[in-house]
Amino acid sequence: MSIRYLKKHAALEGNVSVEDAETLSQWLQQQAAPAVHLGKCEHLHAAVLQVLLALRPRVKVPPSDPWLAQVLR
Amino acid sequence: MNQAELLDQFVTEARECLEAIGTRLLEVERDPANAGLLNDLFRSVHTLKGNCGLFEFKALERVVHAGEDLLDRVRNGTLPYSSALADALLDAMDYTARLVDQIEAEGRIDASAEAQSQQHAAALRALLGEAQAAAAAAPAAPTVAAAAAAAAEPPAWIERLPAAARQAPEGAVAVHYRPEPDCFFKGEDPWRLACTTPGLLAMDVGTQEAWPAGEALAAWDCYRCNLDIVLLSSADLGALQAHFRCVPEQVAFAGGPFDATAAAPAASDPGEDRVRERAAALWAEQLALLSRGGANPGTVAAVRRVLGHLAPWVLDAAAAAALEALPPSAGAAELLAWAQGQLVALAAAPADMADTAPEAARAAETTAAGGARVLKVGQEKIDRLMDLIGEMVVAKNGLPYLAQRAEQVFQQRELAREIKAQYTVINRIAEDMQHAIMQVRMLPVGAVFQRFGRLVRDISRKLGKEVQLQIEGEETEADKSVIEALADPLIHILRNSLDHGIETPERRRAAGKPAAGTIRIVARQESDRVLIEISDDGAGIDAQRVRDKAVERGLIPADRAAGLSDADAVQLIFLPGFSTAERISDLSGRGVGMDVVRTAVERINGTVTLASQAGRGTTIGISLPLSMAVTNVMIIESAGRRFGVPMDLIVETVRVHRDDIHQFKQARTTVLRGRIVPLRGLNELLALDAEPLLNAEGETAVLVVRIGSQPVGLLVDQFHGASDIILKPLEGVLAGLTGFAGTALMGDGSVLMVLNPKELLT
Repeated sequence: MSIRYLKKHAALEGNVSVEDAETLSQWLQQQAAPAVHLGKCEHLHAAVLQVLLALRPRVKVPPSDPWLAQVLR
Repeated sequence: MNQAELLDQFVTEARECLEAIGTRLLEVERDPANAGLLNDLFRSVHTLKGNCGLFEFKALERVVHAGEDLLDRVRNGTLPYSSALADALLDAMDYTARLVDQIEAEGRIDASAEAQSQQHAAALRALLGEAQAAAAAAPAAPTVAAAAAAAAEPPAWIERLPAAARQAPEGAVAVHYRPEPDCFFKGEDPWRLACTTPGLLAMDVGTQEAWPAGEALAAWDCYRCNLDIVLLSSADLGALQAHFRCVPEQVAFAGGPFDATAAAPAASDPGEDRVRERAAALWAEQLALLSRGGANPGTVAAVRRVLGHLAPWVLDAAAAAALEALPPSAGAAELLAWAQGQLVALAAAPADMADTAPEAARAAETTAAGGARVLKVGQEKIDRLMDLIGEMVVAKNGLPYLAQRAEQVFQQRELAREIKAQYTVINRIAEDMQHAIMQVRMLPVGAVFQRFGRLVRDISRKLGKEVQLQIEGEETEADKSVIEALADPLIHILRNSLDHGIETPERRRAAGKPAAGTIRIVARQESDRVLIEISDDGAGIDAQRVRDKAVERGLIPADRAAGLSDADAVQLIFLPGFSTAERISDLSGRGVGMDVVRTAVERINGTVTLASQAGRGTTIGISLPLSMAVTNVMIIESAGRRFGVPMDLIVETVRVHRDDIHQFKQARTTVLRGRIVPLRGLNELLALDAEPLLNAEGETAVLVVRIGSQPVGLLVDQFHGASDIILKPLEGVLAGLTGFAGTALMGDGSVLMVLNPKELLT
């Protein structure tokens, strides 16, 4: 379970591991209006979190984890 | 093997130890004078303590260590075994079992266990009657005081916490966590660490440097950690320090109060509010379901599970625990009564426990999901299965002969072909089955070696020594029972090497050795044995000191000790109760080490050898039987009989012309690739009265095997190719037979004797 790159957004699902950070970073930078779907994300690695924080994509669906949701708000 | 598997193994082993300790405690109570029982008990406790040391389970280790100290005194006879003592030990053991359960469910020990563990340890130490021990059992006090002093002036980063959170209850601790930039490469996940902080109340994630923008973004390295996390937690300082123990230099703690002026109660998170609303609605639905009446037991169980998951959200963690505590047989009415009672209580109490909810929910989930994981099967059942498969293979191999008979004797070609087709199917299945059962029993020795890296690192740090661990041959496979029995002895040997063998860096430099010591573990298979060699380049064993200590401890009379050679004297360390350490540390020095090693190895029919050179290091060799393993053998024929020779010993097979064999008195040699190779006739060695056969060209078949580092040629009659066999060691009346590694049953029902060239030739 990791990231599915869809047409309009990237869906982060399950446990997103550290390896996914770089691909996600590049994908987000290529997008005109980057967006992420975190509804099914259980946990993401700190490297992925900092990619999200640095690039600030639009969060389509917030994660269920309240702490993660708070940090990304 | 990853950490989780290691933990699983630890839990399984800890349970076994606790089981053994439990039964032994009761036996000792019945027969307190029995030194063997006491020794056994002590050994189990010692092993358990050693295993705890592999992980950072301080609470667990403290209790076990206290128990060990107590038992040590009992064993030495300085403390009488009493029922009060047994009670304290059994209490401590039950507590330990609970901790192990917790470790299994959550992978760690709750901070709340700390206080209880100190209580248990203190209770045990009180029996020891040592005043200073009690002081040692409560080390938490000074650190809290230090933190309180530091809190006098709240640091600036506290401002980053939301104002509402800052007027947290008395005793809350703020944490400033700045992960180092390259922490991702160390396998750390700062976010996970932050999220799992015990008693987390509030959190703010910032950056160490501003995020790059525009052009700089393309060059930005997302694997350089730039996070800066501020946390507020209701857990006590000790628990937080334990939580962040791996990154102590990257965290700062501060105690409250942080903001005296803030007054309004914390506004709760809208997202959480919604979750709670939904949870309450679900809760009501479940209650409606229950009150409908006539619910069958399955429904009740399902409702109960759902309530268990909801409880942390709707009520609090304590309620979830209370639900767990309800008897499993509780009917619909009882469950309903409980749930309604909880809601009434909820209405009266303020809902402020929400912060611990996600964690509690996760814990509840794991408990619910925990079912059958490991199936424990008795060794004899697997053995029986293995024997049956062996018979099946033999029976299956009879089919080709049947096909042959059908064709030749009964002239049924069609039938013969069908039999052969059937045979291939059965053959495949039988091979798969055999393989599967082998897989059950065979493990690479690396499975045990895996945990040594951490052990060596931790212990060498604790002792202030520099040690390198080199492991070779971890892929060598051996029977599961052999591998499992190997773990404890190896840990003891490593601890001994680290504690007594390797010197401190200064002393090593003074002796002209590199500052970092080396411990090598080499595993390899040699015919029917697995050899494991643990060598260090440390100080070696001082034979004279061993003699003196053995005499001092009354293990051997002085005159006999004096008569021993140095090589024999060092073997004295295998005696039960032997220890040269001046003081007892938590590493070694209790005199169980080498005794345990030898007992454990001999139990599985292994042998331990020890060689030590003062100043140069110590080598311990463990030789273990392979009780069962697929062995690749070459089948040879000599004097009309077939024999197997283990393939790993064979260098080459050649045919040497009669004229190329040089005979000098009884010795025969030949020259192969410019080397002189001694030749021995297999018939001679086996006392078979026949000359080696020559083929039509006057050549004789020579099987060159390696004995030690020397090649030796065996004169045989014929080579018959290689075969995979299950080598069964010689047992019973045949056990004394030298020159043979064992026997194997062949496909046609014949028995193949497998030679052990090393025994045969030396």
